Amino acid sequence: MTKSTRIFMSVIYWAFVVYLFVPLVLMVVMGFKDSAFIGFPIQSWTLDWYKGVFQDTEVINVFIYSMTIAITSTLLSLVIGTWVASFLGPYKFPGKVIIFAITCLPAVIPGIISAISLRIYARFLDIEPGMLAIILGHTVHNVPFVALVVMARLATLPKSHIEAARDLGADSLIAFFRVTLPYLRPALIGAGIFCMLLSFDDFVRAFFLGSYQPTLPVLIFAKLRSGMSPEINAISTVVLVMTAILGIWAERSMRRMNKGA
Amino acid sequence: MDQQGRKAIVHIENVSKSFGQTKAIDNLDMKIMAGEFVTFLGPSGCGKSTTLRILGGFESPDQGRVILDGVDVTKQPPNKRDVNMVFQDYALFPHMTVGENIAFGLELKGQQRGEIDRRVASLLDFLQLSGFRDRTPDQLSGGQRQRVALARALAPDPKLLLLDEPLGALDAKLRGQVQVELKDIQRRTGKTFFFVTHDQEEALTMSDRIVVMNAGRVEQDGTPEDLYYRPASRFVAEFIGETNLLEGTVRGSDQGAVIIDWKGHSVYGSANGGQPQTGSSVAASIRPENVICLPQRPANDRALKGRIVNRVFKGSKTTVDVQVDERDPLIIKAHVDPAVAHQFADDTVWVTWDTNRLAVLAG
Repeated sequence: MTKSTRIFMSVIYWAFVVYLFVPLVLMVVMGFKDSAFIGFPIQSWTLDWYKGVFQDTEVINVFIYSMTIAITSTLLSLVIGTWVASFLGPYKFPGKVIIFAITCLPAVIPGIISAISLRIYARFLDIEPGMLAIILGHTVHNVPFVALVVMARLATLPKSHIEAARDLGADSLIAFFRVTLPYLRPALIGAGIFCMLLSFDDFVRAFFLGSYQPTLPVLIFAKLRSGMSPEINAISTVVLVMTAILGIWAERSMRRMNKGA
Repeated sequence: MDQQGRKAIVHIENVSKSFGQTKAIDNLDMKIMAGEFVTFLGPSGCGKSTTLRILGGFESPDQGRVILDGVDVTKQPPNKRDVNMVFQDYALFPHMTVGENIAFGLELKGQQRGEIDRRVASLLDFLQLSGFRDRTPDQLSGGQRQRVALARALAPDPKLLLLDEPLGALDAKLRGQVQVELKDIQRRTGKTFFFVTHDQEEALTMSDRIVVMNAGRVEQDGTPEDLYYRPASRFVAEFIGETNLLEGTVRGSDQGAVIIDWKGHSVYGSANGGQPQTGSSVAASIRPENVICLPQRPANDRALKGRIVNRVFKGSKTTVDVQVDERDPLIIKAHVDPAVAHQFADDTVWVTWDTNRLAVLAG
């Protein structure tokens, strides 16, 4: 690489970084502006918007509501995803490829299609729009991610480990809980955090499957419609910080897993 | 009961097993005595590992039964059998400490905590692992892992211990040391060891009894000495140790010795299974260390004259290649004491051997 191309490449890279982060920085900065109008110049700073967010019972309730959905759907996804992976991983049977494709489908179907079909299906099953419907919707969407990650991990588990457990007196269930599951732990942590983020972040499914009680993204959307205010910036910043921390932690634990720890 | 008054702990009764078209085990029938160190030896794919897996309960035979201490266990899953295994890759549980690994089998047997702790401590002590109880497997060396795997398999006090090439992952220097240790552990515990390997040296070093397998069948079943000096077949002779294989036809017999025409030279040997038919083609095996090299023609007429065409000094011995015939390059390998190797200065040599040392093999 010549010197000029190297400079050119790094300029492109930094332009991309700026493009990526400027909106985020602006959003964070505006959350501290002591004025109801978003925009420059900023004459004075305040923490009032944050105080407002943490004192606003509606926001707190919506946050709890969203977290409940995220945690429940994640737990369901982990159980079902691990189940599917244990079933699809080690055994060979006719039609395995088709079952695998069907399992992965919810991950790639456009959100809006998936949301509409889930809405229709929920109605068909007599499930009221609301928490249960959203949880089921998010679970369907998240299972493929769990299954894929767990299958990848499962493929690296030596067969002899299970045989050793069986040899030492474990039936297949004990062998699963005492040997397979601990081995899957890093994969489950990684996949679980990823599922939580997907669920917490989801707008389309929550919008279509929800009742009058909004999830956090739906609430932000509703607030936006009644006018942009730094309060939204403050909420968004809190969410950004939390998800970034979770995401980085998940990424690190996945990397540790790939190193074979 | 055998001659030494030991009872059979395992009876493998007419067991056959196929994988698709391949016959892994072809009607194997044998007993393993309590306290015995038995080695199944053979090249890969000979059926030795399948036999081990059938004993462990990881494969079920197509035909036949497995009797363990008088009980038919053919249909029992691995967790119901009083048999434990040391795996080739040791299969230590990576998320458990050394102590937890060893305790695993004891916990599943429903033993009390205190009892388990005592048993684990005594095994750690016995296998010189005392300081390693709280380490995880990835903090151990290969040799230590092998001992932990052994401790874990011994912990539930099995009636039979299966060892699936457990020394394969160790480096050559350590392997020799571990062979001696393993034999010592077997002797001190009095356990029945069923050892599987493709390494003939390993088998000879440790075993009370070696079963040589080839293509799903037993080629020979005997003590290491039997196998080495009295191989039953050409396969065994070639598989174990270094040997001279002489191919010829039977010419007759002389005072119990079999006379073989080896491409125009008469050689004298002995047959284990009775006098082979005159005129039949046979192979005969003699170990290089049993070939005697003499500088002069000996008194008896059973020596062959030859010329040393190659000599290699190896410290404790000098190996020589003796060409017995000028026209046809028939070579006999022999070991010579380096101290007397100078006697063969002009390279002319007479080779002979104790007739009992040349084993005449069928086919």
